[in-house]
Amino acid sequence: MKMKQTFWKSVLFLIFLTVPLLIAAQGTVTGKVTEGSSGLPLPGVNVIVKGTATGAITDIDGDFELLVPSFPSTLVFSSLGYATSEVKLTEPTVLSVTMEESATGLDEVVVTGLASSVKRQNLANAVSTVSAQELVGTTSQSTVDGALYGKIPGVNITATSGAPGGGFALRLRGISSINGNNQPLIIVDGVYYNNVEIPSGLRFASGANRGNEENSSNRLADLDPNDIQNIEVLKGSSAAAIYGQRGNAGVVLITTKRGKSGKTKISFSQDLGTNKIAKRLGVRPWTAESVESAFGPVDGPGERALFEATMAANGELYDFEDIIYGNTGFITETRLSATGGNDKTKFYVGGSYRDEEGIIKNTGFDRFSLRTNIDHRISNVFDFTSSTSYTRSNSSRSFTGNENEGGLSYGYTLAYTRPWINLFPDENGNYPDNPNAAGNSIFVRDHALNDDTNDRLVQGMTLNTNLLRTDTDRVKIVTSGGLDYLANQTYVYVPETHQAQVRPGPGGFIAVGKNNFTQLNTQIIGVWNKEAMNGALDLTTQLGVAYLYQKSNLVNSRGSLLAAGQTSVDQSVNQVIDQFRSEEKDFGYFGQIEGNYKDQIIATLGYRMDKSSRNGDPNEFHGFPKASLAINMANFDFWSIESISQLKLRAAYGETGSPASFGSTFTSLGASIIGIDIGQSVVGSKGDPFVKPETASELEFGFDLGIFDNKLSFEATYYDKKVKDLILTRALPSSSGFTQETTNLGDLKNTGVELALRAFVFDNENFKWNTSIQWYKNRSEITRLAVPAFAQPGAGFGLGLGTFYIQEGQSATQLVGNLNLDGTGTKPTKVGDVEPDFQMGFSNNFTIYKQFDVSFLFNWKKGGNNLNLTTFLSDLGLVTPDLETEEGKARLLMPANAVRFVEPAGYFRLREASIHYALTRNTVNSVFGNAVEGVRFGVSGKNLFTISDYSGYDPEVSVNGGTGLSTGIEVGSYPSSRQFFFSLNVNF
Amino acid sequence: MKNNIKTLAIMTFIIPLFSLMVSCTFDEVVDPNGPSVDGVLKNASKGQLNELVVGIESTSRNGIGNEATANGVMARELYLFNAEPRNTGDLLGKAGIPLDNNSFYSVGSWNGNYRCIKNINLLIEALANTDAVNETEKNGYLGFAKTMMAEELIQILKSYGKARLDVADPENLGPIVEFNEGMAKVRALLDEGQQHLSNAGNSFAFTLSNGFIGFQEPSTFSEFNRAWAGVAAVYAGDGNAALTALSDSYMDMSGNLKIGPKHIFGLGGGDQANTVFKVPNLNGDQIIVHDSWIADAEAGDSRVAQKSAPRLNPASQDGLNGTHETRLYESATSPIDFLRNEELILVYAEASILATNLQDAEDALNVIRNSANLPNYSGAKTADALTAEMLKQRRYSLWSENHRMFDLRRYGLSNTLPIDRAGDQIFNTMPIPLPETY
Repeated sequence: MKMKQTFWKSVLFLIFLTVPLLIAAQGTVTGKVTEGSSGLPLPGVNVIVKGTATGAITDIDGDFELLVPSFPSTLVFSSLGYATSEVKLTEPTVLSVTMEESATGLDEVVVTGLASSVKRQNLANAVSTVSAQELVGTTSQSTVDGALYGKIPGVNITATSGAPGGGFALRLRGISSINGNNQPLIIVDGVYYNNVEIPSGLRFASGANRGNEENSSNRLADLDPNDIQNIEVLKGSSAAAIYGQRGNAGVVLITTKRGKSGKTKISFSQDLGTNKIAKRLGVRPWTAESVESAFGPVDGPGERALFEATMAANGELYDFEDIIYGNTGFITETRLSATGGNDKTKFYVGGSYRDEEGIIKNTGFDRFSLRTNIDHRISNVFDFTSSTSYTRSNSSRSFTGNENEGGLSYGYTLAYTRPWINLFPDENGNYPDNPNAAGNSIFVRDHALNDDTNDRLVQGMTLNTNLLRTDTDRVKIVTSGGLDYLANQTYVYVPETHQAQVRPGPGGFIAVGKNNFTQLNTQIIGVWNKEAMNGALDLTTQLGVAYLYQKSNLVNSRGSLLAAGQTSVDQSVNQVIDQFRSEEKDFGYFGQIEGNYKDQIIATLGYRMDKSSRNGDPNEFHGFPKASLAINMANFDFWSIESISQLKLRAAYGETGSPASFGSTFTSLGASIIGIDIGQSVVGSKGDPFVKPETASELEFGFDLGIFDNKLSFEATYYDKKVKDLILTRALPSSSGFTQETTNLGDLKNTGVELALRAFVFDNENFKWNTSIQWYKNRSEITRLAVPAFAQPGAGFGLGLGTFYIQEGQSATQLVGNLNLDGTGTKPTKVGDVEPDFQMGFSNNFTIYKQFDVSFLFNWKKGGNNLNLTTFLSDLGLVTPDLETEEGKARLLMPANAVRFVEPAGYFRLREASIHYALTRNTVNSVFGNAVEGVRFGVSGKNLFTISDYSGYDPEVSVNGGTGLSTGIEVGSYPSSRQFFFSLNVNF
Repeated sequence: MKNNIKTLAIMTFIIPLFSLMVSCTFDEVVDPNGPSVDGVLKNASKGQLNELVVGIESTSRNGIGNEATANGVMARELYLFNAEPRNTGDLLGKAGIPLDNNSFYSVGSWNGNYRCIKNINLLIEALANTDAVNETEKNGYLGFAKTMMAEELIQILKSYGKARLDVADPENLGPIVEFNEGMAKVRALLDEGQQHLSNAGNSFAFTLSNGFIGFQEPSTFSEFNRAWAGVAAVYAGDGNAALTALSDSYMDMSGNLKIGPKHIFGLGGGDQANTVFKVPNLNGDQIIVHDSWIADAEAGDSRVAQKSAPRLNPASQDGLNGTHETRLYESATSPIDFLRNEELILVYAEASILATNLQDAEDALNVIRNSANLPNYSGAKTADALTAEMLKQRRYSLWSENHRMFDLRRYGLSNTLPIDRAGDQIFNTMPIPLPETY
């Protein structure tokens, strides 16, 4: 923006110098530009005479003055975020121009280098951008990743838990790593944003196998989606190459709202909502006879008597699904923001508080967020931007997911809980033991805690130094840095009166985690813009260095055998402390040159070199090249098809990397204690001191088509992404003393197609309808595996029940179990694939009489499988709702193997829908006076309905959290919810 | 203007750039969270060696719980009713399902035992590359190491029927060998260990935990070594060698049956709990006694009441039922025996039958019978009858201690086990874990 202004100012200066020398039918045109919706003056609008370099910029009052060399002439008005408009002139005049917000997005600017950007219409990659309106405009959103569902082609989002505060796995163009990081790099206002999932240690009470079975949320939950101006998603290596070895899983660039100069605007919003379980599975329709026959000759009669007693006393069974998951949660969100400034300083200040209750009593999430974004121009040479946010978020997630004998996880316990057993406390508050499972879920709901608190400070700072400005050359230095400090505290408390804890058992459990994460990133970039060939060729060259530092320190203190009723870790007999520390450094150089010939041919070449302390050789540089080309056919002079306003052919190639995860290079000993002495033992994982980063190369090509002034646009992209030197954790023959090692062992590729169609079907005063359809698919294949096929450790439960199985020539996400289907012996056999056939998003927005806004968004996921192991458990407990049916009875007789539990996981879902109403200006003024500018209110909903063959709560599920290869396996997950909101927005 | 630009360039570019470049050579990265394996393999101090010794004793507890419960379920000694459905499914071969070579029950003990063996090999390698200890002390470490390695290999052979013997170099593992070859290696290791112990002076340079009270010097530890040698000889079918070895062990016909080294447990950090302990009358995580163990007991056998108790409410899960639950251990920190006098007497009886000293066998069995408040043996005095009696006494003396499955297997009696549900199968050997078969 700034660059452009100064550029045009110098151009203007030149014009004033040269124009008087020409004697022509010249004349001065003056005018005022206002914003369509608010009617406010719009500063900073570029006004140029079409076909020339003559132009001007509107001032703070939206006014401009321009000497037009000849008449008739056409003036072109353009500004970021607004639709470009043209005005034909026959003589010098005074104009009044209204700019409407851009709907097509072709003029928006997309970041392609670390300090440069390019207009969308010139982009060589399919970079998806999600605006604030698309993100949170329809309904109230609690987390950014949750809000992105179904809005970007090529992005696969899986909710790993239905608990408030989220838990999401984001996959851009398939998986890029088997074992390492599959979550994209997230950068918020230039700050590398930590999206870690922090285990709480509850597994030591629940018996879950690993930290990733604890159902923690990922810490993108600390970012308020309402603060976001837009999100750019660099899906593949070709777009993300400039991020080098952190770009393998793609990059999500988030820009928060910034101030606009002009009158200070204040916006107040209030959302009120409810949270209810989206789908109920129901209770098995028991009869006295079916109870007796189900539990066999030994237990049957006794169970029947219990069933009959409960029916006699209550007239019905206990519906534990309703008792545990039937809470109606209340959601409130309050936001207040102010934005304003002048031509030197602009600010955005915002605060919000969201409080969300879950569908399980005593679960919830709240977030208090403050943000201050400042832009300041010190002089013509210096300007800086600062983005500061502080967040405090708390969540109470209670206990869901996999466990062993903890009696805590609701899904697990309810699978064994018989509906004629009363689990409610007596009048003295004593909870009965659950005779058929390790815990009483009502007790757990009422008295056990799994909480976390996060205090987070994120600060980004950029200093631009404009070193040189001539007619053809501009040189600036961009120095930027970011800090992300996260102090996380976890707290798990299981009272000593919990069934699985009573003495002489563990006697109660407390885990207190104090976890600190610090990330620092710095970049210094020189940018040189040069105009060559008399302005026909624009060259942008940048060179820079980048440094990233990450440090974490996780301390988990646990106590068991608690003093009665005490909730402090020191009030315990047996105490255990764990500590884990890590420190990582990355350093890289990069350079990029972009050339733009008349907006017709746009080419980019770039290279990045990176090293990382996580690699085997911390000082070895790895290179990541990129190149791209876009050709705007419709901008060539020969183009004559009026109706096709854009036809862009594009191709891009790029490479990225991903270093080994911290610790992969170490073979260490761990403390092993017996009696009073400390000993050392190998810890089971063997390091690779020579481990290299995984590297991906991607070729992407496609075309963009715009018809009827881009009222109808179509975008098609094909990509082929190859990941080399995959870092795999594979099981070792454990007779070596090591159960696993992590090293470079294979290659995989992802190929896919992304299609997007957008249309402004109607666009007139009283009725507007725009629609967008996105369709995308991805296929992965393990193309090389240096070791025999193996079951992926840390995901799933072995080949008996089915698991991910890494096998050359097969999909990376196939589900495989040990089966003997063809009678030739038991062997690993594919039973399904988590990867869907394709996914689709379909969104619509109607505006009626400028006042009514109706929006809705559908998602369709076709194909893909899950392993539903919750059914395995409830079949054993004999409480699966369908066990009175023939189908259910037949399943019960099947052996417990993968083919029994694999299920189709496709779905069709109304993800979001809303109706909003804006009061007319007259009404506002007559009711509130001039102090209020606008009032808008409406109702909206999330997850309104789902059609799916999946028998569990939600086909979007993951027992192993969001990282690695994990989604699609269900064990006792937190059910998804349906939310309704009433929203009110007042602008002052 | 020119000067200005220079100053600006220096301020905003050159200085930060320079400071970044300076900090950009990364030091060698070391694990902040624990010592490295390589660190102990060269010039280890006595302290480091002793930490490995503690690690070996500590990790010898690995897999004990899984061995007792999984092998116990397979041998119909007990059921494990807990959250893990495969304890009542796979292990009993429910509905024709085979054992999975990639599940917790099949990999758990293998991993645990070999982790301990790895620590032993690290100690042996560290000893070869250090001058911190003298020859006598070194013999002490080696005698301990080889005895423990033999003990671990016996556990592996009992569960899996096979073992991999040559595992010192992770990059060049030897073959997986059959039971007999494995047991021969065990016996050789024990003899080597005994040789080292006899040259180890009067005391070790390291301390063992309180579980080894009475066995903490080379001379007493060698009795532990010989006890294992007796066990291994019996498992190899060599009765006379077993009798010789046992005579140098702590076996004592008239002594306390409980004498012998123990695994001790703790609940602190880095320590392990006794996972075979279950909270009395707890639902959802319980070792239920197989009804046949109660039903087949001789009237008045005091071991039944010592080791089990009727539940307040009979337990059932997955179509299986039981009236009694375990009382084998008092708490999660109760010790578990490596090899107690009671077992040695039973081994002596078995060795005597093998050596056709039938009267000695009967006498030894009567020691056991009397200790359980049972009268002297009155059955036939044939090798077969006494073998059956010996196996029965082992069944009750060593219930839920990982013996029954192996005892039935080595005597070819696994198919005599009861089938509880139609479609169940009997397995008597754990499958070798999948990664070993690559």
